[in-house]
Amino acid sequence: MSTTPQARVRSLDDPELYVETPATIFDAIPPYPPRTEREAEFYSVREGEMLINLGPQHPSTHGVLRVVLKIDGERVVDLDPVLGYLHRGVEKICENSDWHMVVSHCDPLEYIASMFSELVPVMAAEKLLDVEVPRRAEYIRVLACELNRISSHALFMGWLALDLGGLTPILYGFIERDEIVEMLAALTGQKLLFNYMRIGGVNGDLNHEFMSRLGDWMGHAAQRIEDSQTLINENEIFVKRTRGLGVIDRETALRMCLSGPPLRATGIPYDVRRAHPYGVYPELEFEIPTREEGDSYARYQLHLDEIKQSIHIIDQVLHKLPDGPVMAKLPRLLRPRPGRAFAAIESPRGQYAVYAMSDGTDQPFRLRIHDPSYFNLQSVGLLTPGHLIADTMAIMASLDPIMGGVDK
Amino acid sequence: MARSPHRPQRAGRRLSDGRSRAIDSALKRRLEATLGERLYGPVAQRHDTTEIRVAPGDVAAVMRTLHDDPDLRFRLLADICGVDTGTTMQVVYHLWSDTTPDWLRVIAADLDRDDPRVPSITFLWKGAEWGEREAYDMFGIVFEGNRDLRRIYMPPDYTSFPLRKDFLLPDDASRSPGMGVRHMEQARRPADAPAAAPRSAKAG
Repeated sequence: MSTTPQARVRSLDDPELYVETPATIFDAIPPYPPRTEREAEFYSVREGEMLINLGPQHPSTHGVLRVVLKIDGERVVDLDPVLGYLHRGVEKICENSDWHMVVSHCDPLEYIASMFSELVPVMAAEKLLDVEVPRRAEYIRVLACELNRISSHALFMGWLALDLGGLTPILYGFIERDEIVEMLAALTGQKLLFNYMRIGGVNGDLNHEFMSRLGDWMGHAAQRIEDSQTLINENEIFVKRTRGLGVIDRETALRMCLSGPPLRATGIPYDVRRAHPYGVYPELEFEIPTREEGDSYARYQLHLDEIKQSIHIIDQVLHKLPDGPVMAKLPRLLRPRPGRAFAAIESPRGQYAVYAMSDGTDQPFRLRIHDPSYFNLQSVGLLTPGHLIADTMAIMASLDPIMGGVDK
Repeated sequence: MARSPHRPQRAGRRLSDGRSRAIDSALKRRLEATLGERLYGPVAQRHDTTEIRVAPGDVAAVMRTLHDDPDLRFRLLADICGVDTGTTMQVVYHLWSDTTPDWLRVIAADLDRDDPRVPSITFLWKGAEWGEREAYDMFGIVFEGNRDLRRIYMPPDYTSFPLRKDFLLPDDASRSPGMGVRHMEQARRPADAPAAAPRSAKAG
């Protein structure tokens, strides 16, 4: 049994030092020559700087994100996110499954709010097929999505506080989420990956258990949100650690392709529900809350405002809900005519879009999934330099990436 | 648009008369006037999307015009992705503007499949960097001017491009339930029939 001769490689702790441990692609300094200008710049370490890995198993990275931090003392000089630890090739899988299966493959992408990640491919397929969805189904979709948005936002606030070291808010966040999840479980049979949207409608009509749970919850929802606000809204430590942190201005936000709360926190009222209305949103009244500051605290407050708007939308849906079927009549085998369709919705994290191409068979020819977390996460490299290592988590949590969607 | 909720619903009705929006023909005229001969074929409009095609060499100039022109103001990049049609490569951009209710789809068409190259748009949208990295990773499309064009999902020592149409899934994967109805149809075919060739787009 022969041992392979081991190359001398740079130490992770001190780039000037050479050691005999074999380097792998998981080491901070990659064992191959830099491939791009930017990589060469990032991995050349100056006097006093060093590289450390944050992740891929660090709890504050919300999944399996690895970030290579270049630090000078406690300050972050630069960083390089490394993705792909959760990459499953969903787009390729979808090209090899038929249109109905696409829904369940796209479901686990944004797993905190999976109503949204299954709604978009369904909408794209409906555009390709030229199918009109029954109005009752459209209203039920809005109802389910807004409930899911609230549960996602409630968890966001808990996470943000958790990454700053506060344990309590996430417990309250989960109380809120638990009630909604139980409600949606009564409707769909699932608690996390609902698989509820269908091409042409939804899987089932509203039932009694769902409605009674919803009625109970609506009675105290607004009050509960107010209560959990007071937990951290004026908490001095929380405010000091988020205000003025990760500030981004309007022009840069547009240049960085941000969407959702990070974009609206800079003052741009871009919300796909109003900017490019879909479903029955034109018939519903709601505001698009914006903030001017563009920092982590503004992003946090924006989530609170959006929860209130979502409750307002649910209230209207319950009053306007029409009677009728919840599924359009469609053949079991869907063969859309050759063409292209682009559908986008406002998910809790921003604009979630699908670009679908059909070549006339029962499988999508190309299904491009645009996930907002992916494009929002990108700006962490712009926001973090100059801040402390501990603030990296606060900034990352305020952008709210879901690695299931980032890595696809 | 506003329909009475009591009107009886016929499920599965076509979109064409009821809910579809008016096509924004003003946008079409504006695009034709502004871009002129840089358009690579007619402006197509369907549903809520206006589609233009440009030659890959013109992408940077066209995008700058769309972004800066005071009558167009496409300031928001909604999506950027690569497409392999089986015969050529394309890069597809989706843009949003407050001047029109439509999405604008810009297709950089007819990239050489052996050496797909297109100018980067990171000088306008820095955030397109990761989108371009993903298209490079999945299709091998080279974006000239992108400072950080390396693989983003696949490991650095990976050599092929998974979303290309000639990248076929291994046999066990294609026998999986994911193949669905198509697989059943193939199973019913006579044994001496030729195997299915890799798909190429009729959509173009």
